[in-house]
Amino acid sequence: MNKWLRQDLWRHVVGISICLFALFPLYLVIISSFSSSGSLQLSSFIPREISFANYSKLFNDPTIPYLTWVKNSLLIAGSVAVLSVMIGTASAFAFSRLKFKGRKFGIQLLLLVQMFPAILAISAVYVIMERVYNFAPGIGLGTQPGLLLVYLGGAMGVNIWLLKGFVDSIPAELDEAAKIDGASEVQTFWLIFVPLASPVLAVVALLSFIGTFNEFILARLFLVDMESRTVAVGLQQFIGGQYSQNWGPFAAGSILASIPIVIIFLSLQKYIVSGLTAGSVKG
Amino acid sequence: MSYLIRGKIALFIKVIVVTLFASVLLLLAQSAFAQKEYVIATFLLIAVLLLGLTYLTKISVPLKFFIPGILLLTAFVVGPILYTVAMSGFNYKTGNIISKEEAIVQIKVRGIEPAPSGLTFDIKLGTVEGKPAILASDINTPEYFISTLEERIPLVASSLTLNEYGVAVEAPNFTPLTDSEFSTADKLFTGTRFTFDDQYFIALEGFEAGVVSQQILEFVPEADHFKNLVTGAIYTDNGRGNYALADDKSAILEPGWRAPIWFENYSNIVTDSRVRGPLIRVFIWTVVFALLTVLTTFALGLLLALALNKPIRGRRIYRSILVLPYAMPSVMSILIWGGMFNTEFGAINTLLGTDIAWFSDPNFARTAVILVNLWLGFPYFYLISSGSLQAIPSELMEAAAIDGANPRQIFRKITLPLLLQILSPLLIASFAYNFNNFNLIYLLTGGGPRNELDGEIAGATDILISYTYKIAFGTGTQDLGLASAISLIIFLLVASISLYSLRKSKVLETFA
Repeated sequence: MNKWLRQDLWRHVVGISICLFALFPLYLVIISSFSSSGSLQLSSFIPREISFANYSKLFNDPTIPYLTWVKNSLLIAGSVAVLSVMIGTASAFAFSRLKFKGRKFGIQLLLLVQMFPAILAISAVYVIMERVYNFAPGIGLGTQPGLLLVYLGGAMGVNIWLLKGFVDSIPAELDEAAKIDGASEVQTFWLIFVPLASPVLAVVALLSFIGTFNEFILARLFLVDMESRTVAVGLQQFIGGQYSQNWGPFAAGSILASIPIVIIFLSLQKYIVSGLTAGSVKG
Repeated sequence: MSYLIRGKIALFIKVIVVTLFASVLLLLAQSAFAQKEYVIATFLLIAVLLLGLTYLTKISVPLKFFIPGILLLTAFVVGPILYTVAMSGFNYKTGNIISKEEAIVQIKVRGIEPAPSGLTFDIKLGTVEGKPAILASDINTPEYFISTLEERIPLVASSLTLNEYGVAVEAPNFTPLTDSEFSTADKLFTGTRFTFDDQYFIALEGFEAGVVSQQILEFVPEADHFKNLVTGAIYTDNGRGNYALADDKSAILEPGWRAPIWFENYSNIVTDSRVRGPLIRVFIWTVVFALLTVLTTFALGLLLALALNKPIRGRRIYRSILVLPYAMPSVMSILIWGGMFNTEFGAINTLLGTDIAWFSDPNFARTAVILVNLWLGFPYFYLISSGSLQAIPSELMEAAAIDGANPRQIFRKITLPLLLQILSPLLIASFAYNFNNFNLIYLLTGGGPRNELDGEIAGATDILISYTYKIAFGTGTQDLGLASAISLIIFLLVASISLYSLRKSKVLETFA
């Protein structure tokens, strides 16, 4: 007992206290979502009432198209995930497996371009998409396809580290064998490489999904209509207006929107950690 | 045989898909040309050409993999970056947004004054033979006429329908605007000059009144200047996007245009104290913020990693709880924290029993920003520190223990230095990331608090990127030229930090 105290007690003290720090805001949001007072306050640690008013407001209030927001987010993030993994994988494959002039220069240029803070090019993106709107209203400013295109602009570079790692982990002997059998590079990619890499590609796609789901500034700038917004933009506007009024539905909406993301994240933890150490950073 | 068939089918599908994409792009290019968007149209045509060349010929195998990515990257990342670079060389701000041609047109439109007679008319908007016209009434004289761009047609009261004030509302040959036409009337009527007599014309003031006016600013294309017809003053191109008096630089004609001023936006950052002062303050806070964030998140993450580095009871539960802040969508977490710091009903004040106005006091606001970022960021360092701790060979610690080192000495002399060596590229990357942590500042404090009295737009928690965003898109003067110049400086800073860290981590070599 004495030895346990000496060796492990401090570990539990640290663990429990930081867990409390981590959980406090989450707990607060959960009890706020079940309270009818509509503010993010702490009247007591144990909730006095459990009300589903906030949740039902989300689904029944015609001024809050919550389900449409969720649908928009899923649609946009889903499309970005699939398309950006296709584009990114093709690039990573070519950078990793094909020999060509200017390969090193290409990857360095790509890295450099990525270091330009995206937010700062926003005014230029805005002007370009405004002009596109003039001749093609379907894909210009204010439309979801337009936002999707802008997101895909970074597809080639964003996950390149992660993908490169995965490409390298698949033995090159396999595509050399395919080459000897007469397959072209494109055939090797589609028939040998993609099937082998599909589990990891799914992981990268899910990471990209989370990232897009979380994106705020571009979505805010692009999606002006109430009906076309994503969850993040919709919920933010919601508490931006009357500050203390809408916290209840905001809390409920945040929880519902976060649950799938948290589940995806927790189940992919292993891959995310290896991706983290490969160079991509959040927080 | 089957290979052959599959090959043919694949080729067939490929040709169809390429043709489909190419025709969509061609259609877009055509409508872009029609709208005079030549740069975009050219880009689209090049894209079509590249698509065809790449996928229908054997010109280059790697391009087959790169083309979609490269086209999107060029359109939405490289293009905007180049545009930003170009903007940084221009006087491009509120009042100087349009092109010179547009500015000249607008100065002409605005360069009018009411005639000395002071005559005004009640008017109705409409058309005569399909062309814009006004039906004007002077109820005092009374006098009525229709005025078009070309002529003035006097009317007699008996042929008109008057309303209760004596204003003509209907006249022969005159078709009043319908309600739906009114919504687009602005384009046709505003700035239009209707005939009055040889010297004067009628300019609209709103949609109900017309003022007899004269042109006082005249453009002289040969000399490229504006002449004031009344005073004789000459406004010349000042080379900075405005027509101005030669002897009084502040007397400029509105609006101006975006004019190349080359490196002036950059030199202003150094020489103009109104630009330099806030920028230096913001820069210092940006560095402090990024450093403190990395230090606090790393310290807390490492402490946790050390505490949970042993298979103690409940380690899996701890781990699952501890990554939750990292797993939550950060936009929502930041907004939730924003609510918790609210002065009156926020949970933080309730918990502490205080009534601190967190976001009104610079130091409290800064503390809040660091605290929230600690919450968001510590799981990341916990995850990577615990991974790295396991990568350190345990023989090293055992050998030190045999040599008589106590746990604290082992940590300070062996574990920490090794860990720092492994993690330094990630610490630097985290610094670079937080240097540009726009979402946190924008969503939590909006950069505030700021002193609104002195007209300063930089707040106490503004970091460079949020400050730049305010310069470009803020509520006051929007200075895109200056914002672009600062953007490029930030880019150079972050790129050099990141390149240093990449060199150090030898990631680049793996691509060689």
